[in-house]
Amino acid sequence: MTAAVTPVAPVTTTEVVVVEHLKVRYGDTVAVDDVSLSINHGEIFGILGPNGAGKTTTVECIGGLRKPDAGEISVLGLDVRADAKQLHERVGIQLQTSELPDKICVHEALDLFASFYPDPVAPEELLQLLGLQEKRDTRYVNLSGGQRQRLSIALALVGRPELAILDELTTGLDPQSRRETWKLIEGIREQGLTVILVTHFMEEAEYLCDRVALLHRGRIRAIDTPANLGAGLGQRISFRATTALDLDKVRALPEVREAQAQGGRVLIEGSGDVVAAVIALLVQERIVPEQTRVEQSTLDDAFVALTAEADAELAMQAHTVP
Amino acid sequence: MMATVSRTATDKPPQQRRGGFPRLFITEFKLLRREPMILFWALLFPVGLLIVLGSSVSNKPKAAFGGLSFIVVYTPVLMTFTLTLLALSAMPATLASYRDKGYLKRLSTTPIGAMRLLAAQLALVVGLSISVVVLIMLVSHFAYSVPLPSEVGGFILAILLTMTAMASLGLLIASLASSQRVAGAIGGILFFPLMFFAGLWVPQQSMGPTLRTISQYTPLGAAVPSITNSDFGNWPGTTHLIVLAAYTLVLSRIAIRFFRWDR
Repeated sequence: MTAAVTPVAPVTTTEVVVVEHLKVRYGDTVAVDDVSLSINHGEIFGILGPNGAGKTTTVECIGGLRKPDAGEISVLGLDVRADAKQLHERVGIQLQTSELPDKICVHEALDLFASFYPDPVAPEELLQLLGLQEKRDTRYVNLSGGQRQRLSIALALVGRPELAILDELTTGLDPQSRRETWKLIEGIREQGLTVILVTHFMEEAEYLCDRVALLHRGRIRAIDTPANLGAGLGQRISFRATTALDLDKVRALPEVREAQAQGGRVLIEGSGDVVAAVIALLVQERIVPEQTRVEQSTLDDAFVALTAEADAELAMQAHTVP
Repeated sequence: MMATVSRTATDKPPQQRRGGFPRLFITEFKLLRREPMILFWALLFPVGLLIVLGSSVSNKPKAAFGGLSFIVVYTPVLMTFTLTLLALSAMPATLASYRDKGYLKRLSTTPIGAMRLLAAQLALVVGLSISVVVLIMLVSHFAYSVPLPSEVGGFILAILLTMTAMASLGLLIASLASSQRVAGAIGGILFFPLMFFAGLWVPQQSMGPTLRTISQYTPLGAAVPSITNSDFGNWPGTTHLIVLAAYTLVLSRIAIRFFRWDR
């Protein structure tokens, strides 16, 4: 599971982004360490990780905003540093923390950004798409968080980009605005736009992303579909045993990874058909389970497991280094 | 909500827009128009002051003003007033706030780049300064018979160099200030000594010899006599022009060296 780069799914579609051995340092700190990934046309690709994992640094390199210390990046067949101007015409970027001048009106901002591109989307069309028509004459400073976010997305899309990089799309939004934004991105996907989504919300990645890269301490810990990442961890079953259950017998099952008693309940984790195996054992032992709960592992669990694993590894290394 | 950003809706061939610079300039102009305090102090106040002073103070030449009338002495001072306020207060605070907000960085993700915003701000300061200088010139000439500059080349050169010196200082403030607040404070603090040496409170002609010498080596202290000279058909003093050019060169170099686009 520690394997960094899972081979990319068979490449039948064109690769929009190819990153190879990207490395970025800030002084002595390595922010991004040997990151390689490739993103296919029309894909919504998630970059997930806790704060400080190197997500923003990675996408800033992809967007041509930051110079890598090492590694190769190709976006839409362009060299991100050498062809910066062309890149900026074809890639729309929504930065994590970027505000507009306080007194600029919504439609002025859209008109302004539209004027930067050779073939922009009509601003009125975007206002409608993002539900901002009523706010067209409202100044930026008077917009709500959700409206600002939607405007920011509109500005990233106004140049008709082939690739959109959306950093922390829904941070700071209330749950309803978050859901609406997700729907919006789903709608955009229909256009065949490729999207890189940076987030630390597992739910968001599960909902939107075709594939996600889990980034932790500057390294990619896994790249896969959200479902596969969760499934790798398998299932969890917990119940109250009416008669004492010998946990060693449970642990002897090949499907079981871990079994423990906790506050009168038995908690069992395992892969594959662990639930079926445990139920079979219970039947055999004539134990009736009560208040049974079965949980499928989610991306969230995968993430916690992977980061914990990586942290433990680092701790081991720290101890063995003289 | 699920409507589409139509790639097909624009059946018309992609019309190549003219570069975004004009739009950027117009937008910055509109934004400045929404700042009543800046408009008042930089545009209305100097012209208003000219009218109030011109109508209430005697228009007779005075020995204390080097044989010139009060309003002749004050007209160039008021010209530098506008110019300085725009370059030192309006521009650095705006740029610093744009940097704080990440707006400069946001622009650098677009084909236009953040450099054009800087250019738009400079163009705005220069354009407004020239407008107000011309307005002050016309009002003081037609209402209070201050002579129009008869050495036109010298006048234009003096005004241009004053603008470049002040704009460079403004850029330097924007480069070094950590925030909009700090930029505003530095601009405000510098404004008073600069205007003092220009002769806003005590005309240069009434300053003591030492003070007057110091004054000649400050940017506005060099600017005001250059403008006054050209009013009377004389080419501005070489030292004054060199002083202004030197400030421009040195300050802009440092400003460019330290300018940051990102927080």
